Amino acid sequence: MDDLFLAELERIVGPDGLVRDASELLTYESDGLVRLRERPAAAVLPDSADQVQAVVGLCHRTKVPFVARGQGPGLSGGALPHPDGVLIVMTRMNRILDVDIPNQRMTVEPGVMNLDVTREVESAGYYYAPDPSSQLICSIGGNVAENSGGAHCLKYGFTVHHVLGVEAVLPDGELVHLGGEALDSPGLDLLGVLVGSEGTLAVVTKVTLRLVRRPEAVRTLLAAFDSTDAAGNAVSDIISAGIIPAAIEMMDRTTIRAAEAAVHPGFPDAEAVLIVELDGSRSEVEALFAQVEAVCARNEGWGVQVAMDDAHRGRIWTGRKAAFAAMGRIAPSYYVQDGVIPRSKLPEVLRRIRQLEVESGLTIGNVFHAGDGNLHPLVCYDDAVDGQADLAEQVASKILTFCLDVGGSLTGEHGVGADKACHMPKMFTAEDLETMQLVRAAFDPDQLCNPDKVFPTPRLCGEVPGPYRAHPAEIAGLAERF
Amino acid sequence: MLSQSSTPDALVAEVNARVGAAVARPGSRRDSIDGVAPGIVATPQTATAVAAMLAWATETGRTAVVRGGGTKLGWGAPSGSVDLVLSTAAMNAVDEHRHGDLTATVQAGATLAETNAVLSRHRQWLPLDPPWGDRATIGGIVATNDSGPRRQRHGAPRDLIIGMTLVRADGVLAKTGGIVVKNVAGYDLARLMTGSFGCLGVILSVTFKLAPVAAASRTVAVEFSDAARCGPFVADLLAHSATPTALELAIPPTTMLVRFESVEPVAVEQAEQAATLARGLGGTPTILIGEDETAVWQAHDARLFDREGTIVKLVILAGELSSTLAWLDDAAQTRQLDYEVTGRAGLGVLYVGLGGDVPRQASLVTALRERIPAGRGSAVIQRADPELKALLDVWGPVGDGLRIMQEVKRRFDPTRTLNRGRGPGGL
Ligand SMILES: Cc1cc2nc3c(=O)[nH]c(=O)nc-3n(C[C@H](O)[C@H](O)[C@H](O)COP(=O)(O)OP(=O)(O)OC[C@H]3O[C@@H](n4cnc5c(N)ncnc54)[C@H](O)[C@@H]3O)c2cc1C
Repeated sequence: MDDLFLAELERIVGPDGLVRDASELLTYESDGLVRLRERPAAAVLPDSADQVQAVVGLCHRTKVPFVARGQGPGLSGGALPHPDGVLIVMTRMNRILDVDIPNQRMTVEPGVMNLDVTREVESAGYYYAPDPSSQLICSIGGNVAENSGGAHCLKYGFTVHHVLGVEAVLPDGELVHLGGEALDSPGLDLLGVLVGSEGTLAVVTKVTLRLVRRPEAVRTLLAAFDSTDAAGNAVSDIISAGIIPAAIEMMDRTTIRAAEAAVHPGFPDAEAVLIVELDGSRSEVEALFAQVEAVCARNEGWGVQVAMDDAHRGRIWTGRKAAFAAMGRIAPSYYVQDGVIPRSKLPEVLRRIRQLEVESGLTIGNVFHAGDGNLHPLVCYDDAVDGQADLAEQVASKILTFCLDVGGSLTGEHGVGADKACHMPKMFTAEDLETMQLVRAAFDPDQLCNPDKVFPTPRLCGEVPGPYRAHPAEIAGLAERF
Repeated sequence: MLSQSSTPDALVAEVNARVGAAVARPGSRRDSIDGVAPGIVATPQTATAVAAMLAWATETGRTAVVRGGGTKLGWGAPSGSVDLVLSTAAMNAVDEHRHGDLTATVQAGATLAETNAVLSRHRQWLPLDPPWGDRATIGGIVATNDSGPRRQRHGAPRDLIIGMTLVRADGVLAKTGGIVVKNVAGYDLARLMTGSFGCLGVILSVTFKLAPVAAASRTVAVEFSDAARCGPFVADLLAHSATPTALELAIPPTTMLVRFESVEPVAVEQAEQAATLARGLGGTPTILIGEDETAVWQAHDARLFDREGTIVKLVILAGELSSTLAWLDDAAQTRQLDYEVTGRAGLGVLYVGLGGDVPRQASLVTALRERIPAGRGSAVIQRADPELKALLDVWGPVGDGLRIMQEVKRRFDPTRTLNRGRGPGGL
C-alpha cells in the first residue's frame, strides 16, 4: 500500500478516521474467532455513506481488497482483514435515522447495536425480533451480513425476514438501494441474496428494519428428561403437534451441571432439560401451553418448572445463556460448532455424539436451539495433554459430518466466513458453488469485496482449524454464546 | 426468434433427439402467450431432460419460456415470439413430506392444491393461498413470489423456502439451501430465484417450511359505509394484540375480512373482539364459520382474478391505506374508470382491478406511480391487455438496483434464452 493511497484514504476519512499504527490495528486483527488473525494494511472508520463510497471507489480504481467490519463478534472469521487490504470499520455509522411506529419500521445506520433497536421502541410496545445472544455487542450491519438468528427465531424468522431494505455501496463504489420501506419492491430480490452474503457483495450503509409488536403474553417452561432421546422426541412431538413455540432450547447433563455451578439457576440434575417458551395472545398461549405440558409428560418429562414471573423466567434464561461460558469450568479449551440437522433427527444425532464422546474419551457438551435443529456441540480438551487438541479437532469435524449425513447444514447462524469455507464442498457440488459465484461475479467481478470468505480457496484451505477461545466480550460477561 | 430454416417439426425432432425421448410437440394456438403461438412445447419428465433442453436452446440461440399451470403467463411484459415452451407439468410429485420436521420438498409442476392434499394427511399445509391454487404450480407461484390473504400470518414464498434445485440456462444443475429450517451456508440463491419470473433458471423442486392446519377458523366480515374506516380498523385490531391469519380489504362496497385460525376458543374469542372493534368504528360485522366462511373466501378470491380486466398490484405502506384509497377513488372517478380493490390491508399489498378506456387506465397508473416516493411502494401491472402493456412499462420504476439486476441476468443467462424480456425490469 503506497503513501499516495494512504494519503488519499486520509483525505477521505480525515486523520482521525484512518488507523495505521500497528498497535492500534491489533484490535482489528480478528473477530470473535480469535484463532484466525491477520493485520490489515490500513483500517478506516468512515462517518458517512459518502465516505464509504469514496473509500470503496478508491479501492476499486487501484484494485485493493477491502473488508467491512461491524462490531467484530462474528464467530466464523467473516471480518478477518486482508493483509494487503483496507478494513472498513463501520462503528462510527451508528445513528438511528428514522423511527416510524405507524408503519412498524425503523431505519438505522449499520453500526447500530442490535439491542439498541429494541431499546429505541420498547416504550411504544415494539421490538426487533432477531435476538442473537451477542445482541449487546453486535451491529445490524453484521446481522445483515450473517443473516443472524437467535433463540426466538424459531417462530419469528431470521434477519432476512426482518430487513425490508438497504442502502449499500457496490464494490465499484456505486450507491444502490435494494428493497425499500414497502414490501415487494419490483425487480430481482437482490436484497434476499445480499442478506447472509457475509459482506462479500457490498458494504451496507443504511438498513430499514421491520418492528414487531410485543406479544400480549409470554409463558416459559422447563422440563427435565432422563435421556437426550426423550428430550429430542419431545421436541419433535411439539413440532409435529403443530405448535410453533417462540423458542425451544435444549441442554444436556454436561452443560446443565456447568450452568448450575456457575449461576445456580436451580435446574434439575438430569440427562437433559428443555426450555420451551410460548408467546402470543393470552388465550392462545394458555391453550397451547397445556399441550406442551402434555407432550413433555408423554415423553416422561419431570421436574417441570413454569416461570411464574419475570424473575423466574429471567433465571431460567440466565441458566441457559450462561452454559457456554460456564463450560470453561469443565475444560480449559473447547471447539464449538454450529451444524444444523432436521429436528426429527435430534435423538439419533445426539446418540451418535454421545457414542463419539465414549469412544474419544473427550467430554462433549450440548446446549442448543433444539426447535430448529441448530446444534452447538462443545468438544472439550486440554492443550496440555499431548495430541488431545488434534483429537478434539477430529471429533468436532466428525460431528459436522453427522450433521451433513442426515441432510443438515454446516452452519445455522455463525456463517461460513474464513472458518468453514474449506468445508463447503462437503455440502455443495462444484456446480452449486459455481452458481453462487455467478452472483458474486455480477456484484464484484474483481473479487475485491471481502475476498477469501465463504468459498474455498487454496490460500485458506491449507490452514488447520484451531480451538475455540472465549471472545473478550464473553469473558467480560457482556454476552453469552448460544 | 424461430429461424426461417427450422420448421416446428424439425425443432421437435432436434429436441427429442437431444433429450433421447419423445418430449416435444409443435406449439398450437392453445399454447399462445400474449396472443403468439410458440414454436414447440416440450414436457420433460426428468431434471436431465430439462438440462438437455436448456443447453440445446442456449447453444442454438432459441428462446424458451417456462410454463407451470399457465395461470400467470399473461403477467409481465410480452415476450414476442417464443421457440420453446417448457412445461413442468410432468414433474409434479411431492418428493418428500418430512412431517416430523414440518418441511416438504415438492417438484415444480405440482399444483398447490395437489401439494396440500398430500400434506393434509398429516394435518399440515404449505401456507400459501394465491389465486387459482387448483391450477397454479409450485414453480409458477415461486417464480412470481405470489401469495394470498394468509400472507398476513405466513408470509410469501420468499419467507417459506429453505432450499431449491434448479437448472441454469446453460443446462447446469445446481442446488441452494437444504432441507433444514435454519441454514446460512452459502448464498441464498433460492431468494434470488423467487420472484425472478423464470428469467434466471428453471426451478425443479422447492423445499418449504410448512405450517400445521389450524384446529378452528372464524372469519369476521365487516361492512363499512366509508373506506376511510379501514385504516383505523386495521390499526386498532393490531394494537389490540389480535393475531389474524388474514386481514383483507375489498371495495366496493367497503368490506373487510378478518380471519382467525387457532384452537377453537381462541379463534372464537379473537373474532368476537374484532367484531366489537368494528362496531366501535361504525361497521357491521358478521362472524362466519363452516360453509359460509369457505364461500365468502372463495368469492373474495374470485372477485378480481376470475374475471377479465387489468390488475395492478399496488404496494404501499400500511399506514397510508386510507389516503391511498381516497386518492384512488378520486383518480378513477375523474377518469370515468371502474375500479375494484382487494388485498392485504395489514401489509399494504393491494390489487386494483381497472375497467374502462385503456389510455385513461394508463394515465391512472402513471399518476399512481408518480405519487409513490421511491422505496415507499410500487404499482406493477400484473395482468393487462396487450393494448395497455403497449402504452406502459408493466414494472414501472425498478430503482437504482437495475444495473446489477441486469448484470445478474447476464451472468446467469448471457444469451437471454429464458423468458426473454419477461423478467422484472424487462430482464
Ligand atoms: C458471544 C457470542 C454470541 C453469539 N451469538 C450469536 C447468536 O445467537 N446468533 C447468531 O446469529 N450469531 C451469534 N454470534 C455471532 C455474531 O454475533 C453475529 O454473526 C453478528 O451478526 C456479527 O455482528 P458484527 O456486526 O459485529 O459483525 P462482524 O463480526 O464485525 O462482521 C461479521 C460479518 O459482517 C460483515 N459486515 C459487517 N458490517 C457490514 C456492513 N456494514 N456491510 C457489509 N458487511 C458487513 C463483515 O464483513 C463480516 O463478514 C455470537 C457471537 C459471539 C461472540
